Amino acid sequence: MAYELRLDPKKAGRGKFVGLSLVVKVLLLGLLNAMAFWAGVVLFTQKHYWLVAFLLFGAVAIDYIYLTERTYPLRFILPGTLFLLVMVVYPMVYTIYISFTNYGTGHLLSKEMVIAQYTNRDMLRKDLPTYQVEVFKNTADEFAFLLTEKTGVQLVAVDGKTFSLTTAPLTPIDADGDGEYERLGDYERQSLLSIFPYLSQLQNLTYEHQGLRLKMRSPNEFAYFTRRYQYDPGRDVLTDLETQTDYVAVDGNFVAHNGESLDVGYKTVVGWRNFRNLFTDRRYFDPFLRVFLWTVAFAFLSVVETFLLGLFLAVLLNDNDLKFRGLYRALLIIPYAMPAFVTCLIWRGFFSTELGIINSALLVPLFGKAIPWFQDPFWAKVAVLIVNLWLGYPYMMLICSGALQSIPRELYEAAMVDGAGGWKRFRTITFPLLLTQVVPLLISSFAFNFNNLNVIYLVTRGRPPIPGSLTPTGATDILISYTYRMAFETGSGGNYGLAAAVSLLIFLLVCLITVFNIKSSRLFREVPQYD
Amino acid sequence: MKRFVLLLLCLLVLGGTVVPVLASEEGKLLIWADDTRAGIMRELAGEFTAKYKVPVEVQELNFGDIRDQLSVAGPAGKGPDILIGPHDWLGQLIVNGLIEPIDLGVKEKDFTPVAIAAFSWGDELYGVPYAIESIGLIYNKKLVPQAPQTWEELRTIGAKVANRSAQRWGFCVPHPDPYHEFPIMSAGGAYVFGNNPDGTLNPDDIGLNKKGGVEGMRLLKALIDDGIMPLGVDSNATTTLFKEGKVGMVIAGPWVLEDVRKAGVDYGIAKIPLIDGKRPRPFVGVQGFMISAFSRNKMLAKAFLDEYVITEETMLALFEKGARPPVYIPALNAVKDPDAKAFYEIASEGVPMPSIPEMNSVWSAWSNAIELIFNGKLTPEQALDEAVAQIRTAIEQGRK
Repeated sequence: MAYELRLDPKKAGRGKFVGLSLVVKVLLLGLLNAMAFWAGVVLFTQKHYWLVAFLLFGAVAIDYIYLTERTYPLRFILPGTLFLLVMVVYPMVYTIYISFTNYGTGHLLSKEMVIAQYTNRDMLRKDLPTYQVEVFKNTADEFAFLLTEKTGVQLVAVDGKTFSLTTAPLTPIDADGDGEYERLGDYERQSLLSIFPYLSQLQNLTYEHQGLRLKMRSPNEFAYFTRRYQYDPGRDVLTDLETQTDYVAVDGNFVAHNGESLDVGYKTVVGWRNFRNLFTDRRYFDPFLRVFLWTVAFAFLSVVETFLLGLFLAVLLNDNDLKFRGLYRALLIIPYAMPAFVTCLIWRGFFSTELGIINSALLVPLFGKAIPWFQDPFWAKVAVLIVNLWLGYPYMMLICSGALQSIPRELYEAAMVDGAGGWKRFRTITFPLLLTQVVPLLISSFAFNFNNLNVIYLVTRGRPPIPGSLTPTGATDILISYTYRMAFETGSGGNYGLAAAVSLLIFLLVCLITVFNIKSSRLFREVPQYD
Repeated sequence: MKRFVLLLLCLLVLGGTVVPVLASEEGKLLIWADDTRAGIMRELAGEFTAKYKVPVEVQELNFGDIRDQLSVAGPAGKGPDILIGPHDWLGQLIVNGLIEPIDLGVKEKDFTPVAIAAFSWGDELYGVPYAIESIGLIYNKKLVPQAPQTWEELRTIGAKVANRSAQRWGFCVPHPDPYHEFPIMSAGGAYVFGNNPDGTLNPDDIGLNKKGGVEGMRLLKALIDDGIMPLGVDSNATTTLFKEGKVGMVIAGPWVLEDVRKAGVDYGIAKIPLIDGKRPRPFVGVQGFMISAFSRNKMLAKAFLDEYVITEETMLALFEKGARPPVYIPALNAVKDPDAKAFYEIASEGVPMPSIPEMNSVWSAWSNAIELIFNGKLTPEQALDEAVAQIRTAIEQGRK
């Protein structure tokens, strides 16, 4: 059937193959819609209305486009575009928003939530008596309580009010005369065990007694509680009723006159503060430049070394006279197939100064001297570059191998006729023609290494530290690991606002470098000259 | 068609990420625990449900995710009623408004004081502690028959055991790893944060560069210089050395014991030797149960902890599965295991790991200082002064 289709796809439109494909298509679209619907309901219950709208739009658009012949080309573009919006554009917009807020540890909840938390906070009145409680329940699952103070005073609590035994609307009944009441009116006494399923209901019941609030403290005890905080929306002030202190809402915190603030702050927009701190605070800006230079060097050197080694191996493997080419190729791909995490950790063990195999089995026996790999800034940088070389060359080898195949044989033959040697052929034919094809990949590799947190973090953690720096900075820290330190290892940790601000700067930097690279790489796109 | 399959796969992945985290539901308890505790909690939950007719669900999360997910799931009205974690999460959870004070009443007296202190914030208790952990001296009885009592003895024994050409060392403390270096510094009076008059920690009083800290660093550096201790060995490498019988004594926690036993090393556990007649005090970590501020079943959660968790049987069951010594005194008295008893002894003399969120500013600078000292780039005084300055900067920066 597939053969028939290849012969004449138009004609096949009437065949049973398309009938089948239509069924499959409708089935899959149906499945997609069902999933979208399900996800929509879930998101709706979680109040992510924007996502619901987007999902709805996406699902309808996909249905329309795949069921209409006219929109045929869109079939290939739309899914990608939708995912681009969700996975790239949305996180970017969100990051920009976060970079203008104080979102982070201590500023996680919205202001309303923080106010609600404080004003709902109940404080146990330790100066007032507590009551032993017996729980009674009627058939409608409503509750009444018999409260007994240490002094023996008894109260009946029902319907939000309290009564003395004699005035209570419910008559206590002690049928068997053992001194304990089995019933309060039509409410029946409950065992401690049996009230557990109702505790979440019971915890919210409060009873007024002489102007004070009585409520359950534990399944067998009632106590008096008061509110500790009061909020005044007019002045935007939370008042601690116990100490009569006013806490004014300022920039994400409730602050008292003496500068003390409440534990919980709220999330709010702080304008350019994160960026201002970055640029005006020498403590952050000083190491920034140093880290930036190493980042560029690291990314650039990583690309160059992996490319050169990859190219060298690709040219070798391209030689038809080489025996066991397949075997070599397979072996050389292995570093690419191994998970980078594992590789990084293994290399880290190799480099260990006293226990590592590189020093103990190679350098000490051969040269009688160990290299302080992770103690010396220079060698730490070399170590990171070696690991990255190991991780990166198979990729370069692969793309170079591919590119080599596409260079026309005739060029070499012509060159040979003209008497060009091997090196000259490589320099004037292979290299320039190869470069036109791989330059975009080299640029993307540069951008990737610019943010290559894995290698840095797993191999050196940015170490060794730089003595005398004002903030903890390491000699192999690149911008992204430095950002991590700043955002998560300063202050209270988890400063997402600052992290977003720095990420945004890194994003702009990478953009600039990439644009510049693409612009300048146009040079390579010119037809190479053969001299 | 391929495209469709791809699209479907993508949507499945997307679908997977929006699957709601189980939410706190009225009348039903949800507990978040990591893989080391989810199993035992499930067993206990089953028993609780049978007795009290309250459904309890235990959800297993990665250890670190419990804290991080709570900050997302809690405010969104989801998340658990009860979570299990170490006390040093406290500060971050409290300033984020994520957990609820717990009132234990008279039962507070049944717990080891250091455990209650660890879960206290101001004058409120924010968790029910159940286990304690800390680090001590673990020694290989074949190489070191008798544990040293003083630092001088440790040096003498270490020097005897160490043999460079055989790749054997006398002593090792993982580094740069402030958690493991702290006891050596604390013996002489160094501390991370000083105390306010009301007993809370004062993030403006940083005492790492006090005399004891400098002295402790000098002692360790001397061990490296004399070839008694290897340089640049982290905690994994330390355990490996110990398992292979290549080091006489290490500073490590009970979590390495299982590996050590499997490797067949005959080991002993002792307190870290006295420095100048003073006892090194390690950080103490306390594990416990906390109640989410967003729980709809706070009373039920408290009752679950009160009636069911704070019992000898439950506390012992938690000990059996986790091997961390209990802090509930009746359960502790019933424990027979000598390793657990030894580590309990060590931990009860320790300092609770500071739980204020400012602790985040400390690790990196402190770790750098240790590294610079051990690498010989700075003297202990210089490095620790610099670290304290960096920590101060970082804390101030966080306040802006």
